[in-house]
Amino acid sequence: MNRKLKKLLFNWRIILLIIFLSGSIATLATRPLTFGIDISGGVALIAQTEHPVDSKTMELVVDSLQKRLNTYGLRDVQVQGQGNDIVVVKVANVTSAEEANALKKVIESQGVFYMEFDGVIFGTGKDITYVGVYKINPDNSWEVPFRISKTAAEKFATLAKGKAGWPVDMFLDPPINSLLVVPKSMYDLMNSTAFNANAPQAPYLVERIHDAFNITTIAYANQSAEELKKLADGKPIVLVDVGASLVDKLRAMNVSVRYVPRQSGVSDAELVRSVLGLYGPYSLGEGLANGVPQTDVQITGHAANRLQAEQEAKTVYTVLKSGSLPVKLKVIGMQFISPKLGESFKTQALYAGIAALIAVLLIVYFHYRNWKIAIPVASTSLFEVTIILGIAALIKWNLDLPSIAGIIAAIGTGVDQQIVITDELLGGEKLTKITRRSSTLKRIGRAFFIIFASAATTIAAMSFLLVYFVGTLKGFAVTTIIGVLIGIFVTRPAYAEIAKYLVGED
Amino acid sequence: MARKKAKKPGEANEFRAKKREKLRFLAEMEPRKMIIYPLAVFIVALLLLAVHFPPLGIDLKGGVVVTGYGINANPDQVEKWLSSELGVNVNVESFTSVEGTKGIRVYAPAGVDPVKIINLLKQKYPNAEYTHSEVLPTFGELAKKQGIKAIAFAFLAMAVVVFLFFRNPVSSLAIIFSALSDMTIAVAMMGVFGIQLTTATIAALLMLIGYTVDSNILLTTKLTRRKEDTIEEAYLSAVSTGFTMSTTTLGALFMLWLISTSPTIDNIAIVLIFGLLADFMNTWIFNAGVLRWYLSTRGVKA
Repeated sequence: MNRKLKKLLFNWRIILLIIFLSGSIATLATRPLTFGIDISGGVALIAQTEHPVDSKTMELVVDSLQKRLNTYGLRDVQVQGQGNDIVVVKVANVTSAEEANALKKVIESQGVFYMEFDGVIFGTGKDITYVGVYKINPDNSWEVPFRISKTAAEKFATLAKGKAGWPVDMFLDPPINSLLVVPKSMYDLMNSTAFNANAPQAPYLVERIHDAFNITTIAYANQSAEELKKLADGKPIVLVDVGASLVDKLRAMNVSVRYVPRQSGVSDAELVRSVLGLYGPYSLGEGLANGVPQTDVQITGHAANRLQAEQEAKTVYTVLKSGSLPVKLKVIGMQFISPKLGESFKTQALYAGIAALIAVLLIVYFHYRNWKIAIPVASTSLFEVTIILGIAALIKWNLDLPSIAGIIAAIGTGVDQQIVITDELLGGEKLTKITRRSSTLKRIGRAFFIIFASAATTIAAMSFLLVYFVGTLKGFAVTTIIGVLIGIFVTRPAYAEIAKYLVGED
Repeated sequence: MARKKAKKPGEANEFRAKKREKLRFLAEMEPRKMIIYPLAVFIVALLLLAVHFPPLGIDLKGGVVVTGYGINANPDQVEKWLSSELGVNVNVESFTSVEGTKGIRVYAPAGVDPVKIINLLKQKYPNAEYTHSEVLPTFGELAKKQGIKAIAFAFLAMAVVVFLFFRNPVSSLAIIFSALSDMTIAVAMMGVFGIQLTTATIAALLMLIGYTVDSNILLTTKLTRRKEDTIEEAYLSAVSTGFTMSTTTLGALFMLWLISTSPTIDNIAIVLIFGLLADFMNTWIFNAGVLRWYLSTRGVKA
């Protein structure tokens, strides 16, 4: 008896189980489990790009979004690109619904960033390689240093040679390729030196945006819808503070139209900036106008007081930092879970897990009327959960509710397969007067054929889920696959040995 | 030595023998009947689906859900009040968690600002804990497409693996049909009980593939690879194992369903319960019938 127990304990399958189990317990003790936002609380947002993008662009989107959200002052941000048009953003430690909604706006306000000089786009957000910390001077002037790519620097050097003081414009999300219809006063302002920095001889804003973005600006003089349609010539129309009554008419004529109303107290200059997404113009410094490409540049400005200077500098800083998004995003799904609620899900999952184990124990006992079978079955399941959790902690897998469901699925099949093993071992009892040893081997072999076949099907099915499904079910697939693998390679072989010992066959 | 040890599992064996006796009626059923009844149920399930497909959850359809924990209120009244305040029709349901916390869920169409709903509820229930999710129809469309794709591919992968393992068209097709019927019946039951089709329930349907194949592979292996017993004996031994398997899993799932208040986990549990019940019929009656019929045509004594 003792010899047999010893033999069991030194069986490599049991040793493997013990190694995995103690490894998992050690891991769990040193590295706490991380939970998904549906348990720990937080917000998950699913955004879609305006059009499908290639993998390189997707990488860029993910990277800049991550930077932007970090700049926004959030920790624990996870940004993940899926497929060619989906970006999943998960942010922990968000405590109110308002905060969650603000985040949605941040993601959606991600625009396309352009740097323009003399009517030529010399760089986009992609060309900003580094943004330094902004500085506020005692005279309320401010500066934001940043670095642009070599190609952009070269292009800019050629363009800007000998043009010190000329305006450099930055745009975030301008209405590219459109007909801009504005009030007369606004048109006059755009068609003047007002946006020319210190160079009255430079082309006016109207001309610059026309050359750079194909935006045609006209002053509104009670044109009819038909006239506007003709002027637009197939381009979308943006009506700024004028002609609201034309919107429906134009739409009926199949013209894409956007109406931008003026909020009270907004000046013409402010309206121009907000419609165009214009930052600047910033005056070109002497040092940059000598034709030598320079990658380290800075934007400077001057404000009336320190607070305002700080605000301006911070805005420019954020725009530069985050403006490198090559495509617009729209949030198509969001889920906000308050941390308190998540906590209650966690305890429930724990209780449910314990209750499920007890249920398994009792039902297995009821079927065999034998604790020597019921206890090992239930404890093997417990070991299996421990090992899955240990691996989850090791790879820092975020356990979300679907992951927990996956663990439960793995336990369910685990118990099933242990019963297959047990029954195969018990099964031939009546007939085993014939060569007991070989028939045990045969029956265990048959049990493992069943186990491998079902494991293979489950893994095959789940792999597709892992590869093809975008969104929230990846955790389910991952944990199920981990569970099945642990099952077939570690816990099931060990259980078979234990069962052989307990059932009394060897 | 051997005799002494044989005594230990003896008790268990005796009990199992009794159970087998109880299940003997299944073994005595005529194979044709065993095939026809489950087929009839499958067709009824298809008809049910045609008449009453399960409603799509907001993550597949688009919409807004606001959950308030710690609100003890009459859902109908809240529904009326919110609908009139918001100017759109909302649905409100209440629930109680196992610790006794009461709460409500407000379902509104896509486009309603969830923060607005929360602010309204806060006026009346300032101490409740709020949570919301919002899905645009575009995402619903995407999730639906991917759900269909995931199920289709998972099913195909399962079918291929089953074929590779058994290399016999009759037993493989019987397994594949059982899995299909399990899923169909589970979805039909969802329709009957008004359980929504969501990404979570799609996950449950996928999980069902794993469970279904388990018991079917057990049956097929026992019946086609077991040479030392009669088919009836092999079938009885398989069905008693299967019965134990299903009841333990059902027990665990029932506990899960009972204790959790998370709609994700609840729905996964309930769909699996439906599927496992269907699987019991499809494996131990339909598939067994097919195999017995098949083996008898091949001249194996039944």
